[in-house]
Amino acid sequence: MKRLTILFFLLSLVLSANAQKYMTKNGFIGFYSHTPMEDIKADNNQVAGVLDTSTGEMVFQALIKSFHFDRALMEEHFNENYMESEKFPKSSFKGKITNLSAVNFSKNGTYDVTVEGDLTIRDATNKISTKGTIEVMTGGINANSKFNIVPEDYKIKIPGVVREKIDKNLEVTVIMKYTPMDEK
Amino acid sequence: MKTYVKVALFIVTFIALSAILAALYFYNLKHTDMAKAKPDFVITASLLQKAFEVDETAASTRYINKILEVTGKIASVKPAANNVLSVSLVTESDLSSVICTFSAIADPSKFSVGTEITLRGECSGFLMDVLLNNCAVTVK
Repeated sequence: MKRLTILFFLLSLVLSANAQKYMTKNGFIGFYSHTPMEDIKADNNQVAGVLDTSTGEMVFQALIKSFHFDRALMEEHFNENYMESEKFPKSSFKGKITNLSAVNFSKNGTYDVTVEGDLTIRDATNKISTKGTIEVMTGGINANSKFNIVPEDYKIKIPGVVREKIDKNLEVTVIMKYTPMDEK
Repeated sequence: MKTYVKVALFIVTFIALSAILAALYFYNLKHTDMAKAKPDFVITASLLQKAFEVDETAASTRYINKILEVTGKIASVKPAANNVLSVSLVTESDLSSVICTFSAIADPSKFSVGTEITLRGECSGFLMDVLLNNCAVTVK
């Protein structure tokens, strides 16, 4: 952990000179499952994310334990049976805006982007590509996206009895409100 | 109907009903109310952050899933999506804090930067900061 802290410290030193990196520590990632039997949703408001406006690189990290369900028992099953959050506590995404030239970071406005990268959930990593928007504002940048993932792609085993209650395609929503990294 | 059949029928119905009630109870179980919950650990924000920075594995085993009562000075108050409020507490580290997430807080004005606060929450673990979920302010 110490190494990571030092790395992070050095990184922030380098970057405070030019505010091209934006970050958040309370980004939102939620998922939603809809079936005729049951609607399930879970929210995580503790996502850490960094956006580099010079290269278009985006990194997210989230704790599985930070996903919050309305029903306590569902949250317990999610952590213990499906995600095994003790064994695999973190989930991450590392990717890039592929059409960076479409975004003018010095002009306020909303821009359509495509983001490609590797999504790691449990111990499985898959390439994903999704559309989203970048909203440039005074003092910050918002990033939004919605995409679908298939639980089985990430080795999440769902028992037959409850399979019908969980959507084959989970809808994932990402809302990031970034502020410049040198600002604490 | 014979008496033993009646008794048997009664027992079976009773067991079936209890099972249904128990299933409904567990299915609808809500999260622990942190304002009333008894904390597993009482600690300062600085010590908690340090514990994770020094030895994340040991701190994870000790604190994750536990109810922590944490005291510290408010470093920042930030609104997150869906009316959620994110309050971070000052630690000895410049880069890492204790982030406490309050769901559906009606009144963010009661949190002001620089004042000391004691709150309870469930520890989710450590990313760059120690993360507490489902938080409530402790009223003493």
